Amino acid sequence: MSNDGTNPMRPYLGVLAGIKELAADIRLFQIELQNATGKAAFADYMPGQFAFVSAFGAGEAPFGITSIPGRGELLEFAIHRHPHGKTTNALHSLKLGDPVGVRGPLGNWFPMDEIKGKDIIVIGGGIGGAPLRPVISTILDDRENYGGLTILWAARNPSLLIFTEEYDSWRATPRTDLHLTVDQRPPDWREGNEGLITTLLENVGPSPKNAITITCGPPIMIHFVALSLRKLGFTLDQMLVTLEGRMHCGIGKCGRCNLGDIFVCVDGPVFHHSQVAGLMESFL
Amino acid sequence: MMFMTHDDLTTWLDHLTKELKVIAPRDVGKGHVLYRPVTNSSEITFDYTRPDLSAKEFLLPHTERLMRFEKRADQLEMHDLSCEAEQIIFGIRPCDAHGFVALDALFRDQEPADAHYSQRREMTILVGMACPQMWEGCFCTSVGGAPDDPSHLDALLIPVDGGYAVQTVTDKGEKLLASADFKEVTDGQDRTLPEIPMNEIVPVLPPEQWPGHFDEDYWMRLGERCLSCKLCTFICPTCRCFDLRDEPIASGANLVVHERMRVWDACTAPNYRTIAGGHNSRPLKGQRIRNRYYCKFHYYPQDFGPLGCVGCGRCVEVCPVNIDILEMLSTVSAMQRELDVLEAEVEL
Repeated sequence: MSNDGTNPMRPYLGVLAGIKELAADIRLFQIELQNATGKAAFADYMPGQFAFVSAFGAGEAPFGITSIPGRGELLEFAIHRHPHGKTTNALHSLKLGDPVGVRGPLGNWFPMDEIKGKDIIVIGGGIGGAPLRPVISTILDDRENYGGLTILWAARNPSLLIFTEEYDSWRATPRTDLHLTVDQRPPDWREGNEGLITTLLENVGPSPKNAITITCGPPIMIHFVALSLRKLGFTLDQMLVTLEGRMHCGIGKCGRCNLGDIFVCVDGPVFHHSQVAGLMESFL
Repeated sequence: MMFMTHDDLTTWLDHLTKELKVIAPRDVGKGHVLYRPVTNSSEITFDYTRPDLSAKEFLLPHTERLMRFEKRADQLEMHDLSCEAEQIIFGIRPCDAHGFVALDALFRDQEPADAHYSQRREMTILVGMACPQMWEGCFCTSVGGAPDDPSHLDALLIPVDGGYAVQTVTDKGEKLLASADFKEVTDGQDRTLPEIPMNEIVPVLPPEQWPGHFDEDYWMRLGERCLSCKLCTFICPTCRCFDLRDEPIASGANLVVHERMRVWDACTAPNYRTIAGGHNSRPLKGQRIRNRYYCKFHYYPQDFGPLGCVGCGRCVEVCPVNIDILEMLSTVSAMQRELDVLEAEVEL
């Protein structure tokens, strides 16, 4: 078999060019691809797409890409170390300059052009914020072409909130609001609210008029966020979600991520909630 | 009609095994027959029913080395691992060859093509042996096959009085059989497959009618018996779920070698649909059995074309708790008949 890129399971070689602590057990991995074919493949990936990151010798796992091409060549992934996760543990033990593999970009993306001119409500829960950061970056870098941007950001506790360093720049951008909430607020934490994201959402109460919501988080959160949005007058067609499936191949072959007759990896991961609601098999 | 005596066949197979990798039914003891590599015709059994395992592993190995990673200091070298040379699967049953149609549709024909599968498929020649009868649990005729179906083979041998009737199907098959000693049947004797008793046709609901039965309680009742042992998926000619794993191969002071393996997986496993945060959208055994059957009879044909079942009957034979695909097919058809009656009444 040749090394000319005809093997879709072969990752592109990269090195770890940056590591940033984002939150408790969550790190931002910045990867520099090493050869021209890899760079060409990732020249114009889109917000919402994902890729497999390899810790060579431990394995590879799919992660939402959290960077955008417009902000530089480094590919960024926000990766939460799972106590029993072979790959995430191995990734977290890597040091700068270590080789890593990247396979992608895969899946569909948020229709950033279609939603121009609309108010955008971005709703992220925990590590679910990772694939939403490219949506936020894209809007901030093209601010005049989008309506109001409301970011609702949640985590179980403040130590799990991600991209905290960027909150000031988000808030400082015109027509952009950031609302934070945590399940349980420590006494000394004043930055946001306490309670579930659905409570925050109903309190903030965004208008459905000419608006689109983009949600990522645990399935149960996606479900209840949709119920709250319905209360606020949003239709299912106004809600975009991104789902997960713990894929092994990302190209519709391994079978792992099916929900009924669709595959999250190739038919998604981005869906209109109306599609999700119509699935034969529930994502819940 | 071409004809070959048994002696001509073994002579030809002895010749083939010297030149190529030949896989054939082999008696591995205690009455078990498996498709296995053979080095001469004496290792082949010609008196067999369906081998315990399908021939799937020769196109989609249970453990397949995809890539090798060699790490020296901070330098990493990545090597694609290639497949073996040309192989002949001799004596493959028509249902097992039919199973490759489902695998072809997904791994070879659906973009992007899987490099390993496609290459191995290209290098594989299928010489089938027609079944002299349908055995217990066989239902190939219910899912578009037949005991003497040549469609998915390169050549088919049909056991007849005194030897084998030979049917070449593809150019590949014709080229391979050019080296065999045939006799054109000129004596007017009937050397076609004798009429064989067929098993009863099981009603198989067409793919588009399955969604209406997804929420039936039946699936959960069926699931109560399931042990999630995954046997049905591993012995199935078309089940293709796979996992990827990096395994250590060698390590020394200056070099660490790992290989990325593709290994068989099973959608009936309890944690199959578990995602980040531990959420499992398919925690019930009944949901997982339903997924497996829907994959075969609704998802697979809808998404890729072919049915995901060839009627080999192995899952009926192997299930430790007697979950029976034939009983399931009949039940679903009965549910559809009830639905049809209800709908007819509504129209009246």
